[in-house]
Amino acid sequence: MDVQRYISSGIIENHVIGLVSEAENREMEVAIQQHPEVKAAVDAAQQDLEKYVMMMAQKPPVHLKKQILERLKQDAGAAEPAIPVTQPVAIDEEIPVIDYTPRTPISPLKIWQYGAAAAFTLLVASAVMNIAYYTKYNDSQSQYASLQSSQDSFAAEKDTLSAQLHRAQEELTLMKDPAFKWIKMLGTPRHQGNVATICWDPQSKATFILAQKLPEPPPDMQYQLWAIVNGKCIDAGVFSTGEQATSMQKVKDVVNAQAFAVTLEKKGGSPTPTLDQMFVAGKVAG
Amino acid sequence: MGAALTYTEAELVTGLKARNEKFFGYLYDHYSPALYGIALKVVVDETLAGDVLQEIFLKIWRGIDRYDTDKGRLFTWMVNIARNTAIDTLRSKGHKLGQKVQEIGNNSLIVDQLAVYPSVDHLGLAKVVEQLNKEQRVIIDLAYYKGCTQDEISKILDIPLGTVKTRMRNAIIQLRNILKQM
Repeated sequence: MDVQRYISSGIIENHVIGLVSEAENREMEVAIQQHPEVKAAVDAAQQDLEKYVMMMAQKPPVHLKKQILERLKQDAGAAEPAIPVTQPVAIDEEIPVIDYTPRTPISPLKIWQYGAAAAFTLLVASAVMNIAYYTKYNDSQSQYASLQSSQDSFAAEKDTLSAQLHRAQEELTLMKDPAFKWIKMLGTPRHQGNVATICWDPQSKATFILAQKLPEPPPDMQYQLWAIVNGKCIDAGVFSTGEQATSMQKVKDVVNAQAFAVTLEKKGGSPTPTLDQMFVAGKVAG
Repeated sequence: MGAALTYTEAELVTGLKARNEKFFGYLYDHYSPALYGIALKVVVDETLAGDVLQEIFLKIWRGIDRYDTDKGRLFTWMVNIARNTAIDTLRSKGHKLGQKVQEIGNNSLIVDQLAVYPSVDHLGLAKVVEQLNKEQRVIIDLAYYKGCTQDEISKILDIPLGTVKTRMRNAIIQLRNILKQM
C-alpha cells in the first residue's frame, strides 16, 4: 500500500466527515492499525474538524444543567443493567460473601429470639381464644337452658292438649255410639233455664254427664246425680262444674234407670237426695 | 477553555466511570456548549436541541464504561455521540432534504448566531465564515451536521456524484489551512 497516496486520496477527510461507505470504513480501520502515518493523518483531520465544531459551540439555556444532572441521578439505578456483563458478575460474587459472614454467628440467637417471640404470640393468641370460647360457651349454656325450659313447657302443653284431644275423641266416640241414650234434663220449676244431659248405655251401664248450664255451687256444696230406679233414688255420684262442666264427666254405672235428676248436696255427696234442692231432671225415653 | 481544566482526561474518565456526579457536573460545565452547539446546528430548534442535549448526556452516563481510551480522545467520543444522537433525532422527525438545504444554506443563520450567542470562539468562527466560501461550508455542514450521503449531497448541490468527495476534500483542506493561520 502506498501510504502517502492513500493519505492524499481524500479518503481521510471523507472518513472523518462520515462520507465513506462501510467497506471503505473497514479498510480505513485496518490502515489505521497498520500504518502510524495514516493514524496520525486521521487524528489531525479529526482535530481540525473538532476545532470547527468548537467554533459552533453555544451555551445551552441555564436551566438545562440542573434538569439534566437530575435526570442522570434518576438514571443511576437504571444505569446498572447497561454495565458490561463482567462487572455484575464481580458484584454477584462479592455480595454473598459480605452477606453470608454476619449471618452465621447471629443465627442461633436470632432463632431463640424469633422462637420466643413466636411462642409469646401464640400464648397471647391462645388466651384470647380461650376468653372468646368461654364467653361463647356461657352463652350457649344459657341458650341451652332456656331452650330446655321452653321445650319442657311445650311438652307440658302438648300433654295437656293431647289429654284434651283424648277426651274430645272419647266424647265423639260416645256421641257416635248408637248404644248410648241421650237424656236431656231440664230445669225444675224453681230452677228454670238450667240444663244438663246424661249419656247412658243401658247394656254396659256406662254413664256420663254433661253439665251444660248449672249455677256455680257454694264452696262447701256439690251437685250429685241420682238415677230413679223403680221410684227409688239411687246415688250415681258427684260431679264438678265450671271448667270440668264443658266436657263429659264419667259418673257411677247406672242400671235400669227410668229417670235422672241432679240435686245440690253437701261436698262429697249424700246417701239420700235433698229433693227441695233438685235443679234438673229428665226421663229416659221409651 | 484549556486553562479552566483542573482534571486530566484520564482523571476525568476515571471519575465518570465511577459515575461520580461531581465529574458529570464538571463534564457538563466544560463540554455542554460544544455538544449543545452540535445539537442546535443539527436540529435548529432550541427546545428540541435541549432535549437532544439531555439524551446526549444520558448516553454518555450510560455508555461511559464502553469508552476505550485507546481508541481515541474522550472529546472525540462525545462529539460522535452528540452528532449521531442529533442526526437520529432529525431523522425521526422526518426532516426533508429541502429543509436541510435551507437551514445550511442560510448564511444569515450563522451571522445571527454570532450576534445573539456569545460563542466560545466567535473570532475564529468569524474568520472561518469569512475565508471558507459558502459552497465549501455548505458541503461540510451537509455531511457533518445533517448526515447527508454522497448521493444526497450530489442532488442537493446539483453536482456529479464523483465530484462530491473531491469537493469535500478541498473544503476540509481549506478549513485546515484557515485553522493553521490562527
